[in-house]
Amino acid sequence: MADTTTDTQAHAGTHADHAVHPTEKQYWIVFVALAVFTAIEVALSYGGLEGVQLVAPLVVLMAVKFMLVAGAFMHLYFDLKILNGRLFTWAFGGGLVLAMGVYAVVFAAFRFQV
Amino acid sequence: MTDVADPPAETEAHADDGHGAHEEAHGHGGHHASLGLSNMKLAMWLFLGSECLLFGALISTYLLSKARFVAELLAGNPRVLETLPVGLAEEFIEAGSVEPMWDIPFTSGSSFILLMSSLTMVLAHKAVTEGDYRNSRVWLAATALLGSTFIAGQVYEFTAFYREGLSYDGNLFGSAFYTLTGFHGAHVTGGIIMLLSLLVVSFRGKLRQDRAETVELVGLYWHFVDVVWVLIFTIVYLIP
Repeated sequence: MADTTTDTQAHAGTHADHAVHPTEKQYWIVFVALAVFTAIEVALSYGGLEGVQLVAPLVVLMAVKFMLVAGAFMHLYFDLKILNGRLFTWAFGGGLVLAMGVYAVVFAAFRFQV
Repeated sequence: MTDVADPPAETEAHADDGHGAHEEAHGHGGHHASLGLSNMKLAMWLFLGSECLLFGALISTYLLSKARFVAELLAGNPRVLETLPVGLAEEFIEAGSVEPMWDIPFTSGSSFILLMSSLTMVLAHKAVTEGDYRNSRVWLAATALLGSTFIAGQVYEFTAFYREGLSYDGNLFGSAFYTLTGFHGAHVTGGIIMLLSLLVVSFRGKLRQDRAETVELVGLYWHFVDVVWVLIFTIVYLIP
């Protein structure tokens, strides 16, 4: 009896995880979006833009692609919903912001002696 | 001992599961903790977190090494100039960057292939979850094939660069570039081995619906490798 109860709970947990995952159609939409963003990135690199005008949109597109893969394909967006804790959203989001901040500061402060 | 320390909700779930917990762990691919997420999945995320640190360090090293290499090249440092064939060094100096090295249309094709492999991976996981084992094998095989195509492209690219005169131990830029992209290639190769192992397990009839989480864990690793390439493609190839 005890085994059956735990077994059912495990099934419920597993199915609850999968129930909130994207549909096949949504996966295809994400893939098409990723392909389009990659095409835009390549087009931008051939567009004759320089400096911030080129780097800024490339970094934004890169971040969007990153979030699409992590959120939809890696189910992070849906798993965070399951976890239902802002702590985890802050842990992932905060880590990302902190890492980008450290990168920005290090690269801005770095000087070469040639 | 552990049960006593658990919070009330956890204790309730474990109260009489002497056999249940054992069966759960073996029959359903992982124990669901109080977080509502299996411990295996959480462990995989922690592992991927450590991988983020590894690739973060490699990407930083690449950016700093490339910047120093270009600065020294433009300053006419003879020790750097002698590490490259004259023609290639002149192209770099004229462009003021290493951009002439890249074959963007080719690398874009490789990126597209890797993105497509992420789609086939989620479809494989979905098929196993729904008990569609035939299609799960098709998608797993497709993912492994697309991954192999990406690796073949990388081998071709490395060979082309080496022939153009960019060696691994010649200068800072070559070392950093081959180390970063080589580590990524090694991770893709590891993923292909995992996918082929899943295929073998599936053909033996042991990759059933109740083991779908195993496919999801391999999928997490595979998508991570894909997401790292999203960063590498933009940072290394597209941003001059």
